[in-house]
Amino acid sequence: MIQFTLNGRAVQTDVDPNTPLLWVVRDHFKLKGSKFGCGAGLCGACTMHVDGAAMKTCVTPIAAVADKSIITIEGLGTPDDLHPLQAAWHEHAVPQCGYCQSGQIMAAAALLDANPNPSSDEIDAAMSGNICRCGCYPRIKRAIQAVSENALAYDAMAQTEGRK
Amino acid sequence: MNTINVSRRRLLQASAVTGGGLVVGLGFTGCSGAPAPLPVTSTEGAWTPNAFLQVLPDNTIRFYTARSEMGQGVTTGLATLVGEELDVDPLDMDIRLAGVHEDYVNPAFGMQGTGGSSSIRAHYMQLRQVGANTRGLILEAAATDLGVSASALSTGNGFVLHGDKRYPYAAFVETAQSLSIEADAPLKPASQFQYIGQETKRVDAIAKATGTAEFGLDVDVPDMHYAVVVRTPVAGAKALSVNAESAKAMPGVINVFEVSTGVAVVAETFWQAKQAAAKVVVRWESMPLEAVDTATLRRDYAAALNAGDGVEGPVEGDIDEALQSAAKIHEAEYWAPLLSHSPMEPMNATVRIESDQADVWTGIQFPSAVPGLVSRIADIPTENVRFHQTYLGGGFGRRGSPSHIIEATEIAKVAGKPIQLVWTREDDIQQGPFRPASLMRIKAGVDADGNLIAWDAARAGADISPDTFRSLLPALYSWMGDGMIEGVANLSEWYFEKFATDESSTEGLFEDYDHPNTRVTHMTVDHELPMTFWRSVGHSYTAFAKESMIDEMAEAAGMDEVAFRLQNTQNTPRLNNVIQVAGEHMAKMNPPEGHHLGFAAHHSFYTDVAEIAEVSVENGKIRVHKVTCVLDCGQAVNPDIVRSQIEGGVIYGLTATLYGGLNLERGAIKESNFHDYPMLRMNESPEIEVVIVNSGTKPTGVGEPGLPPIAPAVANAVYKATGQRLRSLPLQLA
Ligand code: FES
Ligand code: FES
Repeated sequence: MIQFTLNGRAVQTDVDPNTPLLWVVRDHFKLKGSKFGCGAGLCGACTMHVDGAAMKTCVTPIAAVADKSIITIEGLGTPDDLHPLQAAWHEHAVPQCGYCQSGQIMAAAALLDANPNPSSDEIDAAMSGNICRCGCYPRIKRAIQAVSENALAYDAMAQTEGRK
Repeated sequence: MNTINVSRRRLLQASAVTGGGLVVGLGFTGCSGAPAPLPVTSTEGAWTPNAFLQVLPDNTIRFYTARSEMGQGVTTGLATLVGEELDVDPLDMDIRLAGVHEDYVNPAFGMQGTGGSSSIRAHYMQLRQVGANTRGLILEAAATDLGVSASALSTGNGFVLHGDKRYPYAAFVETAQSLSIEADAPLKPASQFQYIGQETKRVDAIAKATGTAEFGLDVDVPDMHYAVVVRTPVAGAKALSVNAESAKAMPGVINVFEVSTGVAVVAETFWQAKQAAAKVVVRWESMPLEAVDTATLRRDYAAALNAGDGVEGPVEGDIDEALQSAAKIHEAEYWAPLLSHSPMEPMNATVRIESDQADVWTGIQFPSAVPGLVSRIADIPTENVRFHQTYLGGGFGRRGSPSHIIEATEIAKVAGKPIQLVWTREDDIQQGPFRPASLMRIKAGVDADGNLIAWDAARAGADISPDTFRSLLPALYSWMGDGMIEGVANLSEWYFEKFATDESSTEGLFEDYDHPNTRVTHMTVDHELPMTFWRSVGHSYTAFAKESMIDEMAEAAGMDEVAFRLQNTQNTPRLNNVIQVAGEHMAKMNPPEGHHLGFAAHHSFYTDVAEIAEVSVENGKIRVHKVTCVLDCGQAVNPDIVRSQIEGGVIYGLTATLYGGLNLERGAIKESNFHDYPMLRMNESPEIEVVIVNSGTKPTGVGEPGLPPIAPAVANAVYKATGQRLRSLPLQLA
């Protein structure tokens, strides 16, 4: 039995310990916001936070996250209670097909949690593990920069929410 | 309006197709030869005036979007069209993705399909008319109920306004239901638009930013099992023998069996199915394709071009004489490789067959195909197939092919359970259908004044359309037997090989410039790999050849690249204008030392585009810093979505320019995932500026036209930077 915290809730599972976190979250806990893009750690569609760090969960065995805290896109914000990045995604009309966006936002949130005011190069470095086949990169960057203009407020929020 | 009962509906539909009046106020029942019921949600007390709209008792305005949303923003665009005339803010609508019904056909195709950058253009008048007619009925009903003249009433975002009173539209639906429309309500003049042309947000952005938008892969139905298919590495091979013993012994595995495309592994979870699939041992039949490598493709195409016995496309003037009399002639050959679409969401479909009913959930560009295909495979009546459209995690043409729906239905039928079939990324990259490789040869001539007088262009490669045609035939012609379908499909292939060019294969190679003497030749060389439409279709490679050649001819003529293009596009004034505007932008640019500007222009999907790429070459690596795109797409229904589509087209095209290219090794695709089939990432993505010029026409395409000019614009800049004229994609420096 492997125990961990999923979006603040203590959960446990008895699946094969090699099963990637992505599939445990999607198929056992039925949270479908995190996506399957490559299954090989190459695209970032499956990005979640594991103890606050962005991880590619299609290659993270569930055994490796025992007793850790997992946040998925569902735990970051909801349509009625948007995380600032999600609001910026709407404001800057970032998503096209939208399939990569959960992963993009989770990667961006981990970046801002660690560094609320990143430079353009720092954004590139943090986000280049996430592919967007629709080509939303200019808008993703703009949306991250818009949120980071309010770095102090962001930092305070991340602390209140216990992500740092 | 004519009210003869049987033909009335037909008449209305015929006029819908031509963009005129539509179905508002029309009873959907009671006609003889009654049309199928609308696949809309039944909500107590809702008024459904037509296939697109519902007014709910709480005044929610529900809009059914008939076109597939694959990121191109069509849902927002269509909601904007209907909302403009209905007077409802698109962002306030309850948006649903439509099921299959004849009322949802794309007026540009006559089928329920999304592609060819057609949706906004095709629905521009139709959906506005739907909105206007529905609003007209509500106003008339309100006038009756309130006992005032309709002219005393106005509307504002879902409310009827009378003096200082506001009444929700829903207050009048009971009366509205009893009314019928006499004539099409007048449409607003553009000067009164409040949503069209505005910078509204996307209706789907919040769902997509919160992980709540449902894609095909997110569908979950009770007792659903997952399937993975073990596929042949060499296209078309059948399994000679299958050893599934160890796969069957894997945890969670329910069943392993052969289907038409390989061996299906069904398990409780996707992960279990995928693990077990790796244990299946298959001996595949050997195929002639095994003799083919990437180099073979190119060699065979070159041989076909050399032999010169292709099918003639458009021919004008006397090409041989024009080439003889030209002051300068120049000939060059351009190569574009096989490509995979690789949308971020791998192919998948969920199928449930219960007695004589089937349900299908997936995101697809061709919903029309679903009932026919599923009915044929599952052996149930077409009308018993319900299709549930989801968002598409990227389409790019790939989701116009129904192969995954065929597979999922076959598997669900044998498994006797609801099945979600999931393709792996490796399946996606290796199985196609692909964008064909192309070898293009252009010989052109200019006179002493820099006028292009001769354009002799040939393309060799596989045709794009016949495979897609073949895959849709069984769906669209349910009365045809399998043998007949095979016959018709073979006939179409043979026809394109011997008698006519598949227009998709040569489009863009010759249309944009004035050259009075033109010859287009096509050589179909088919190695039996599956092909289909890929974002911008033929233009995705022909623009590279054409616009590289135009730059080469400008140089041969001793002229500036923009001036040469302007001089030779007198017959294509809308293209000429974007070249002019882009040229002015380019003249003002002041790139830093070591950065070079490349120019290209192209017309596709009724839209004219010119692009300028700012490029540097550092340590043998091509870097694209900035792209400026000038386009004329007529009325921009949502300018911000136009910009995002151009950004997306440029980036999709840059992946193909800098990296894209599948290789064949003994008939099998060598690449398998994003490590060896790389995609452009944020750190390589240029700044993109989009300049929309509007010639005042109705809307034209935007999903695809941004793509074709980018490869030649970059190649033309690389030439300036290095003196190397790169004529093969992806661009690789010597
Ligand atoms: S699905 Fe995990 S990185 Fe691509
Ligand atoms: S929005 Fe489609 S892949 Fe990123």
